[in-house]
Amino acid sequence: MDGNNTIWTEKYRPRALDDVVGQKEIVARLKSYVKTGSLPHLLFTGPAGIGKTTSAVALAREFFGDDWQVNFRELNASDERGIDVVRNQIKQFARTAPMGGAEFKILFLDEADALTNDAQAALRRTMENYAYTCRFILSCNYSSKIIDPIQSRCAIYRFRPLDREAITEELNRIAKTEELNITDEAMSAIIYVAQGDMRKAINALQGGAIISPEIKEEMIYEITSTARPDEIRELLGIILEGNFDAAEHKLNELIIGRGIAPGELLNQCYRALVANGDIDRQLKVEMISHLGDADFRISEGANPNVQMEALLARCILSAQNSGR
Amino acid sequence: MQDWVEKYRPKSLRDIVGNNTAIRELAGWASGWKIGDDPVLLYGKPGIGKTSAVYALAADMGWEVVELNASDERTKSVIDKIAGTTSTTMSLTGASRKLLVFDEADNLHGNADRGGARAILDTIKNSRQPIILIANDIYGVAKELKSACTLIQFRSLQARSIVPRLKYICSSEGIKCNENSLLNIAEESSGDMRSAVNMLHAASAGSDVQEGMVATSSKDERSSIFDLVSAAFKEKDDRKLMALSFEIPDTPETTGQWIEDNLSSLKNPAEMALAYSYISKADEFLGDTYRRQYYTLWRYAGAIMLIGTAVSARGAGISGRISPPSRWGKMYRAKKQKGLRNSIFRNLSGKYHMPEDTLRDDMLIPLSIIADESPHEFARENNFDKDELDFFLHDKVRSGAVIKDIQKSEKEKEKAEKKKQSSKKASAPVQPPSAPPVDPVDKDNREEDPADVEEKKKDLSQSTLFDGF
Repeated sequence: MDGNNTIWTEKYRPRALDDVVGQKEIVARLKSYVKTGSLPHLLFTGPAGIGKTTSAVALAREFFGDDWQVNFRELNASDERGIDVVRNQIKQFARTAPMGGAEFKILFLDEADALTNDAQAALRRTMENYAYTCRFILSCNYSSKIIDPIQSRCAIYRFRPLDREAITEELNRIAKTEELNITDEAMSAIIYVAQGDMRKAINALQGGAIISPEIKEEMIYEITSTARPDEIRELLGIILEGNFDAAEHKLNELIIGRGIAPGELLNQCYRALVANGDIDRQLKVEMISHLGDADFRISEGANPNVQMEALLARCILSAQNSGR
Repeated sequence: MQDWVEKYRPKSLRDIVGNNTAIRELAGWASGWKIGDDPVLLYGKPGIGKTSAVYALAADMGWEVVELNASDERTKSVIDKIAGTTSTTMSLTGASRKLLVFDEADNLHGNADRGGARAILDTIKNSRQPIILIANDIYGVAKELKSACTLIQFRSLQARSIVPRLKYICSSEGIKCNENSLLNIAEESSGDMRSAVNMLHAASAGSDVQEGMVATSSKDERSSIFDLVSAAFKEKDDRKLMALSFEIPDTPETTGQWIEDNLSSLKNPAEMALAYSYISKADEFLGDTYRRQYYTLWRYAGAIMLIGTAVSARGAGISGRISPPSRWGKMYRAKKQKGLRNSIFRNLSGKYHMPEDTLRDDMLIPLSIIADESPHEFARENNFDKDELDFFLHDKVRSGAVIKDIQKSEKEKEKAEKKKQSSKKASAPVQPPSAPPVDPVDKDNREEDPADVEEKKKDLSQSTLFDGF
């Protein structure tokens, strides 16, 4: 039973490019590199958990076959982000010849946007001078943090958050192997919680599977400490009605009773507000602004409970003013 | 199989696309090069052929290249070791000369490269081999370095001059290509040949280049900031609006600037005030985001500025063209000025033993008066260049003339010293032939700036002597 002692995100990480879900166009391009045997430097951008690392590793596997590990190196730039890592570690790897008859090696630099500007500048010529022996794949969340000279040296691939179909497909594949049964509501819950992030989705699923092979909606919200969307809608409804006592009661139920972190609650309220088409738009913007204020104050170390209640009061006031 | 950028790097200066003046200048410098000539400093945006030009030049001239770039450690000792021996010894391989290249001269890093700029400067002064420096940002180059070099600027390439090169690559790779898609790539690359070649490589991997494919591999795909700005003024569905904002690569900060610059299309003052109240609230969040490095706040900033604008515009849409923030051009100039100001006060603060802000608040006027009274002494004493002197004088023409004077007198001094040394070494026979060349230089001086130069020079040497004590 290795299902109980390995992390599923690793166990089910796609080995082949074909198994990477939700990034069809990108995968097609990457596959054609393998077919022609030529590869430029690449820059993968996009939020977490959508297949950047997976694609890089799969690409290396397809290029190098069984020997892939000797010719592939993964470095996480957020661990060591100074100029020394470029001048020592990266250069050392890049300048040595590839092994096993491969034409070049691949260096995967994760979270490259964490590199200082100095380090990025040092990377520029390394990428070119050793292009004969080594290709670079950089990955980052925001391409705007990568300096222009490096962007100019790379083919840029913009990964996007995974949609409902992609996550459903992958989770069903896992469920089949692990002999799980996921209800439709549970699937929707996972998709809601994951926000396009496959890693989050799979973690939620594994968390549920530890409790029972029958994956149910409540389990997902329970283990991820997330409120159900209808609870958030209910809270917003009470605020719009202007009933402070009821709103406070609901808030305490969620935060104290269910152990949902105020930050998560703010996140969910934000999503619910943006998606809500019924609220007056001006009021909506005002409430989002209140959310942001509360979020900022809490991040600065203010008492979350006080700030959350103050938030309720402010939102109620805005709602009443907008009615008039 | 090689990376295309390397594979199709021009082998000769003749193959380099665009920048004809710069290339001519460079070739002229190289063909006439003799010991004691100034090095050249090539500068310009990434991907427009600076490094390629240097290697092509070396190939054309049959020179060997020794390169030091930011990926090498560039402390004083390393530069002395590598560059020092390179620049004063002859090549083993029989190449006629060794070309010493300092790439990324604008990236000498504080602690990691301590003393680097100084060492490069020393190398330049004593070099018996040609030297080229390369930089993206001319203002990032230490000014001592800048003033020791002949500057050659490389400019961005026109899309139409990129296309033929792409076509050539396609035909050598045996790839069929569609004229339009090549033009798309060229335009998308905004004058950056390397980026264009990369895009072509990405778009063509394994197949022919068709129009649709270009999009997936280009810098910026599908939605652009234009779509977002236009949507912010008319979209009624907030979810769609926010989804669109995730599609574009720009940060909320950039988006905010775009929106703000287009708010003028709101005609009603009440609408405009409302829109500005949202933009300013969003801006507060952006400030907090960066100040605290708390990126969660980004989403509030984004939502407030986008939905807020939509509310204020009442779905009316934008009348007229969507234009990029006009402030950018001004900001670029202001930033330059600010950088200049900071570097001046940093240098002076060490010299006068005063904090920078005291200098700025209390000493700016006295210093300006001194500068106005005796610009030559002032500039020489502080080792100012044209822009720095002009910061006090506010007279470009005059500052330029002053600096020119100083440079000339310095060159003469150097020559005189060299003469002294050479005359010491080989006393009698050398002197007569080396004496005459001085005259024409002096004549030149007199033509431009009669008599004044000679006198000023004397003044200068005296005053600096006194100041020293």
